[in-house]
Amino acid sequence: MLSLLAKIVATGSITEPVSTFPEPELGETGENLKAAIGALYGGRSLHIRHVDAGSNNGEEYEMTALGNAFYDVERFGLSFVASPRHADILTVSGPVTRNMEHALRTAYELMPAPRIVVAVGDGAVTGGIWKGSYAVVGPVDLVIPVDVRIPGDPPAPADILAGLLAAVRKGRS
Amino acid sequence: MTFFLAILDGLIVLLLAPLTVGFVRLAKARFQNRRGAPVYLPYLTLLSLMRKEMTVTKHSSWVFAAAPFFVLASAIALAFIVPTAAAGVLPDFASNLFLVGGIAAFGSVFLAMGGMDAASTFGNMGASREMTLAAFVEPAFYMGFSALALVGGTWSLDGILRHLASLPWSAGVPAASIALVALVFVTLAENARYPVDNPATHLELTMVHEAMLLEYSGPSLALLEYASAVKLTVMLGLVASLSLPFFLIQPPVTALGLVLGVLALIAKLALAAFVLAFIESTFVKMRFYRMQEYFSLAFIVALAGLLLALISMTR
Amino acid sequence: MAPSVFGLLFVAALVLPLLGSAAALLARRAGWGNALSQYLFMLSGVLGLAALAGYFTALHAASSVVLLSSPVLAFSVTPLSAFFLLIVYLGTFITSLYALGYLPLYADAYSVPLTNAVSGVFLFALAAVLLSTTVFTFLLSWELMSLSAYFLVIADRSPESLSAGFLYLVMTHIGFACLSAGFLLLSGGHAFISFDGVREVARQLNPAALAAAFALLFIGFGSKAGLVPLHQWLPYAHPQAPSHSSALLSGTMLKVALYGFLLALTLFPGIPASWAFTVAAVGLISAFFGALSAAVEHDAKRLLAWSSVENMGLIFSGVGIALVLHGLSMPLSGALAAAFALFVAFHVLNHFAFKTGLFLATGAMVAKTHTRDLDLYGGLAGKWPAFSGVFLVLVIAAAALPPSGTFFGEWLYLQSLAAALRFSSPLLVASAAAALGLAALVGGLALFAFVKFFSAAFLGRARSEHAEAAEPMPVLLLVPPLLCAAFSVLLGLFGLPVLSAATAGFGSLVPVTTVVPGASMSAWFVFALLAFASAFAFIAYRVFARNRTVRRTETWDCGTPLTPRMEYTATGFSAPMRFFFRGLVMAQKEILAEAVVPGNPWIANRRIEWSIASVWEAWLYRRIARGIVSVAAFVKRLQNGVIQLYLLFVLLALIIVVLVAL
Repeated sequence: MLSLLAKIVATGSITEPVSTFPEPELGETGENLKAAIGALYGGRSLHIRHVDAGSNNGEEYEMTALGNAFYDVERFGLSFVASPRHADILTVSGPVTRNMEHALRTAYELMPAPRIVVAVGDGAVTGGIWKGSYAVVGPVDLVIPVDVRIPGDPPAPADILAGLLAAVRKGRS
Repeated sequence: MTFFLAILDGLIVLLLAPLTVGFVRLAKARFQNRRGAPVYLPYLTLLSLMRKEMTVTKHSSWVFAAAPFFVLASAIALAFIVPTAAAGVLPDFASNLFLVGGIAAFGSVFLAMGGMDAASTFGNMGASREMTLAAFVEPAFYMGFSALALVGGTWSLDGILRHLASLPWSAGVPAASIALVALVFVTLAENARYPVDNPATHLELTMVHEAMLLEYSGPSLALLEYASAVKLTVMLGLVASLSLPFFLIQPPVTALGLVLGVLALIAKLALAAFVLAFIESTFVKMRFYRMQEYFSLAFIVALAGLLLALISMTR
Repeated sequence: MAPSVFGLLFVAALVLPLLGSAAALLARRAGWGNALSQYLFMLSGVLGLAALAGYFTALHAASSVVLLSSPVLAFSVTPLSAFFLLIVYLGTFITSLYALGYLPLYADAYSVPLTNAVSGVFLFALAAVLLSTTVFTFLLSWELMSLSAYFLVIADRSPESLSAGFLYLVMTHIGFACLSAGFLLLSGGHAFISFDGVREVARQLNPAALAAAFALLFIGFGSKAGLVPLHQWLPYAHPQAPSHSSALLSGTMLKVALYGFLLALTLFPGIPASWAFTVAAVGLISAFFGALSAAVEHDAKRLLAWSSVENMGLIFSGVGIALVLHGLSMPLSGALAAAFALFVAFHVLNHFAFKTGLFLATGAMVAKTHTRDLDLYGGLAGKWPAFSGVFLVLVIAAAALPPSGTFFGEWLYLQSLAAALRFSSPLLVASAAAALGLAALVGGLALFAFVKFFSAAFLGRARSEHAEAAEPMPVLLLVPPLLCAAFSVLLGLFGLPVLSAATAGFGSLVPVTTVVPGASMSAWFVFALLAFASAFAFIAYRVFARNRTVRRTETWDCGTPLTPRMEYTATGFSAPMRFFFRGLVMAQKEILAEAVVPGNPWIANRRIEWSIASVWEAWLYRRIARGIVSVAAFVKRLQNGVIQLYLLFVLLALIIVVLVAL
């Protein structure tokens, strides 16, 4: 235990400053985002619920990294929660498969308004390489309305984080 | 005058509750070499939740809707009858330790009923576990406080705190310090912290407290989150004040004493939050089906405190 | 009221149930027969309560009213019996009011006129036991009470009831034998002697005879009150009776057993500390086993019966501790003995209130869902909002949560035990610490049991078509539990200050009860605190909640539609308790997998089998039964049909008789 503590002290804070993140290209954002961010005190405290609607888990690996000491998503008031009922943001990855369509719809339905949907990764944004397959419904916006799109296959943690922050900034303006 | 001080003591705790949660989260983040969220974030979280709509399962009844109010009522009642910043302001019957236990149990019963009314297995499991823990925590709770009561010569928490404040330092009273260790065990269990429960888990099967909250949303979730923050603050504040009974607000009160008392409480809460984060960063969560070991240990430590108190009394 | 007037009222209240019995039999073909009997019973209850009101107001505390004094039968009202009569007549009134709407629902299952006839005798016997002033009258009334209770237990004549009734009949007669022996030992063999006379005789007895008499009486009354290890019949017999009778059996008859024990205690010249310790220990162990069994039970009415074992255990331990303390001459011991006596009186009332209410409410629930299995309920709060509210109040009382009267009773108990830690004798302190730990655990287990009960029955979705198809709850079945719930709350508000003389004003606004220096409680403060805190929470919600729209959705299912089968049942809820106390509840769990072909990994079906058992049954009852059977098997060898042998026995017997006679 002492060596662990010594290491914690020796390492100190290793969180990346936000200025090193790339500038994202978000594309269009709708009225819903602005209304939601406006209602929720400028999005200073937002809860995220993630649904994997059929991705290859690449996005999940990258998103898990958001919680680590390097990216530290919590410092921006963003945190992951265990139930869609607690969430303000629904992040969805992967093209929506037919099996996950119901799960995605219920998760969205259960979220209390105001709510924001973020499509993470090429699969969720366009359908990616699975587009047109008989097993998938298609991109997320065929199932539920999408507010923010973060492309990439998979997007790097820095891209995801910068995308989320840019969306909040846009909502405030 | 003492009446106003008692009300003030409760209001201070109610105001500081989200701050305590912020302190704990910040300290935990620093233990993980992260920067962490600002300490005032829990206030914003609660306010944001209050602005959301509520989605409620259609299988639930009036109990589900009413439960958050009773849970919060229990926490608020605790805030007013448990001394934290002030000592010597409550009459004996108001902060009787058995009353404190009863009021705390009142809250956990309604929390468990809310979890059972959600018609979801997660909430049901959390409720079953919560009630099991509530049943097991009682002996250690009463035994630990009884040891302190024997030291203090009174059965009210306020009186115990007043007595400890009149001594040079409670660490000089071995019985009190051992009983306080038992109370730390109780505090961890009552507030669903490590090693009994994991407050940050996302895995439903490891949840106890969080599992009962899964079906709540919006304002009712805010009430429940706030209730658990208040309960945590009350217990941490009590244990911190009992172990460091300095700068308490005691009548006759001066303006300086009041300000010092509030600042001292904030400092104590920050320290307690640091200790809590330390425990949560260095210990692992125990399996639920090993909980009897944890509670036996807590009970035995409390019993040891009681024995010491009795031995020092007969001297 | 003049004494003669309420003397007459007492007599009328005593005899009216018998009239009700007669009416039930005479009007058995008439549609209004049930109503007539119940009205007569209710009238008896009202007259009894009126008589008691007169008795308590008009008379000085230590006086008694003689109702009948003949050499054979003698009845009179004493202060102790008046307190217990209060419960009998309240119980008579409430349960008869309930039976008015309840019994017609069961016209097929029970013979209503016969049940009413037996109930009348039972109600008469309950009061008669309390009023008896001679040993013979007492034992006669006691036997009448036990026998009529037997017929109530077997009222539906199902195989389960008959076997439960048989167990009850055996146990109650073992108890009766002990009682008769104990009383006769004390009275020097005189059966028609009054209790005052017994007191005189007992003073001359040697200590060994006194100890034997005490043991016999404790066993006799303890077996009726359901104390461990003679509790085994109670959870089987009480639930089998019609629910209004179950309420009387658990809420009232157990208290009559307590009355008998208290009466017996007054006959002894003194109670040595070792006896008192035994009573306290047996009481606490009963409380623990009752609470633990209630926590793992899933039959609705049996859970309540187990809780009766728990509460009677607590009451008896209170009696025992009060006796221990009463015999001491230490500072505080007098005050604490008084506190425990107060607890006993208060808890008798509290347990009566919530247990009667819970049995009646559960009976109504069973009548509308046609099952007693808690695992098959669920979702009833949505169907019966008012009824579930009443039930919740009763559950809060049963779980000893503030602000119910039970909470203040248990506070007295725990607080006085904690105060006893200050004694200087190591033995006393060790016992007090052990009792405090055990009593706290008992409280926790009771909390668990009743949260489980309420949650499994009322919350979530219906677990089976029984609960799904539950009919609306008629008002007539709702009112009696409501009365009990109201009584519970009133006991909380007024019980402690009224029962205890030791009250002091806090700013002369709030009555405060003090037990020992430094320990005090105010029921009104607790009410005010909870009301204030709830109002605070509600106002905070109204002020801060900007968005108060509520959208109804499905339960969160993670993508897989949920079925009611996935919810926790009462059995699932108590799984942790079965695990942690697996040694004591003898929990066994086995997963049985059936392969498609033996040796093939494909499983055709898989099921789980679990069971719990009573350690007392396995380690005590079964052993005794096995011993009796083996002795009988040995004796059977003698009975082999050889006439010469039988003649030899006769001859031997004659010789022994002659030898003894000489």
